[in-house]
Amino acid sequence: MPKHDTPMLDELEKGPWPSFVTDIKRQAAQSPQCWDILGQLELSFKDKITHWKHGGIVGVFGYGGGIVGRYSDVPKQFPGVAHFHTVRLAQPSGMYYSTKKMRAICDLWQKYGSGMTNMHGSTGDLVLLGTTTDQLEPMFYEMTHDLNQDLGGSGSNLRTPSCCLGMSRCEWSCYDTQALCHFLTMHYQDEIHRPAFPYKFKFKFSGCPNDCVAAIARSDFAVIGTWKDDIRIDQAAVKGYMKGDFKANAGAHSGRDWGKFNIQTEVVDLCPTGCMWMEGETLKIDNANCTRCMHCINVMPRALRPGVETGATICVGAKAPILDGAQFATMTIPFMKIDAESEYSDVVDAIEKIWDWWMEVGKNRERVGETIQRVGLPTFLTVMGVDILPQHIREPRSNPYVFWKEEEVEGGWTRDVKEFRKRNAQ
Amino acid sequence: MALSKEELKAAILEKAKTAPKPQLYIKDFYACDPDAKPRDVKNIANDLVKEGKMMFWSSGSTTMYAMPDRIKNEETRHE
Repeated sequence: MPKHDTPMLDELEKGPWPSFVTDIKRQAAQSPQCWDILGQLELSFKDKITHWKHGGIVGVFGYGGGIVGRYSDVPKQFPGVAHFHTVRLAQPSGMYYSTKKMRAICDLWQKYGSGMTNMHGSTGDLVLLGTTTDQLEPMFYEMTHDLNQDLGGSGSNLRTPSCCLGMSRCEWSCYDTQALCHFLTMHYQDEIHRPAFPYKFKFKFSGCPNDCVAAIARSDFAVIGTWKDDIRIDQAAVKGYMKGDFKANAGAHSGRDWGKFNIQTEVVDLCPTGCMWMEGETLKIDNANCTRCMHCINVMPRALRPGVETGATICVGAKAPILDGAQFATMTIPFMKIDAESEYSDVVDAIEKIWDWWMEVGKNRERVGETIQRVGLPTFLTVMGVDILPQHIREPRSNPYVFWKEEEVEGGWTRDVKEFRKRNAQ
Repeated sequence: MALSKEELKAAILEKAKTAPKPQLYIKDFYACDPDAKPRDVKNIANDLVKEGKMMFWSSGSTTMYAMPDRIKNEETRHE
């Protein structure tokens, strides 16, 4: 039986879509504290203000992340959610896990928490919603000893690294995203479990420029697969697409009749850099001008494939905050070989250069992308030891991105300019 | 590092004890030894947590450090 009247929330059950209100009511049959979630949310709708307080000293011993303290600011009215902490569990690379494992996690949460989950949080963690401080240590013990499962990151920690399915299912993956994600997760255990930085720091790994984990939009350090050589073309398959032997986009948009496939309007004319053209029935690509947008490869996957000299582009500094403006990552290192044999030493070097600089220069609660914006891209690229390229700049023909240093100017900043002009009159 | 590990631990504890606010960012401890690398200061602050002399306080998005007595008093005051 409902514990509180929730007329406004009840409205959310009336549409044709799935309703979280119905889900919570169903869960409340087993976990009565869930009635208080609905009661408090109804009050928040009425007051037009949240009644959650977050933050505190909750956690498990030895860990400085993975648990987010959450309290009600009206605990007498809603005692079931007076303490309602969130637990983040690290997801496996590519989010592959068995239904057996998922059931075990749900059973664990039914035992120690509200039973409510969020699969998955935006960083990818398996998010378990709602428990009390006294349940944390026993839950953590059972989780680590019986389920072989670890907590994810929170606070000023390295957040749980996340990757796309990569080579396990995708022929476009330019490196093994899952292997790199797993390696760095194990390599930086201390940074995941204990605070290390001025603010949060996120890694995300995408196997190709389709960027299925949206690394470029959401991560401080985005590793996005790319290739150095030419797009591989099967001209016979190109002709097959033109004749209608193969469905465009591998049939992904076949729910509607789009008419006959037209390679000129659907592929060549949509190339953002105009680097493709047809010579009769032969497709030509000026690969030097390709920006790896993936459109042509997505449309004709049987005919076009990424090149064979593969690696990744490193982009730094994205953030997707709720309150402040979102920011895309900046392309920092155009091409890096992703080499498992060297234990990904180039990736590790790049990460640690960023961390050493940001820990010193970054302000409290400042993401690395905001630090880069504050000090300027040339300074950051100098720290990274990267030569500035026109591709680092949005409009290189109109933006004076070359800045001289004093030691590069004959006579330095104090030279006699009049004297110089006498010899170099324009 | 100009200070030894033990001296830096003592300086961090002194800062945590006397600062006006009970919770401090890791950067607040950098001044305890300006010659120390930020990562060394972080490692020593985390050692103090392992020893039970400091505690983590987390908002969920940021983590700060605090002396157990000071932060527990602060938390109780809000309950």
